[in-house]
Amino acid sequence: MSYLLIAYAFAVALLGGYLFLSLRQLRELERPTRR
Amino acid sequence: MSRLEKASIGAVALMALAGAAIFFYAPTDFLQGAVQRIFYLHVSSAIAAYGCFAVVLLGGAIFLRTENYAADRWARAGALVGVVFTTVTLVMGMLWAKKVWGAFWVWDARLTSTLVLWIIYAGYLLVRRLTEPGRQAARLAAVVGIFGFVDVPVVHFSVTWWVTHHPGPVIINDALPPEMLATFLFTFLFTMFCTLVLAAVMITIRYRIETLMDLKQLVPSPVQVVITREPEPVQ
Repeated sequence: MSYLLIAYAFAVALLGGYLFLSLRQLRELERPTRR
Repeated sequence: MSRLEKASIGAVALMALAGAAIFFYAPTDFLQGAVQRIFYLHVSSAIAAYGCFAVVLLGGAIFLRTENYAADRWARAGALVGVVFTTVTLVMGMLWAKKVWGAFWVWDARLTSTLVLWIIYAGYLLVRRLTEPGRQAARLAAVVGIFGFVDVPVVHFSVTWWVTHHPGPVIINDALPPEMLATFLFTFLFTMFCTLVLAAVMITIRYRIETLMDLKQLVPSPVQVVITREPEPVQ
């Protein structure tokens, strides 16, 4: 059971983390820059 | 909230539903027990990775033919997301292997060719990172992406071409009892659908990021203009 939980915890952390960081990077790039 | 943020929330909600199906709806395997539930996301991630690398192949081929930089950006996006999904496939597979084989890793054809796939596309990303952005880098990466895709059918058919520890095709197998087939197949196909949606959303977000980064490189940084007063004539 622990291997199952570790496997899914890893997948959630990697996929979720990647998605979160991508959205944050996108938001920063789309923010209008003040000159 | 942007459209891509809304799409991300939708994809995460679908993945949560898939998780519920995996843990509470799918039947427990008689021989392996609960650990067999790794199968659903392990295989779905592998198929999502194939899809991502197909985007790299198509993007690279279109770029070499037309020099369309949008195609190159799709290729870049596909490679990064594909490496993420291949990592999920490898790590979940290793944890499953430890439970059922007693070892995290064996050098059989399926595992080795998947590791080679990961290295090829990690190399692709490294090429993009280390070379100066531009036409030459895009052309070089396109060639790596196209030749790298040769490994995808090798990974897929490795279990039928060679004798491996890794099991062969499971879905297309007459040995599965018919009463289990419906629940098992539904959970698998639903998880695969949700994973493909997530991969598509991730690639689209990455494409947008690559587009904005390219635009940022094209826009020249503001030049500082220093206005000096002309010296007043000496009287």
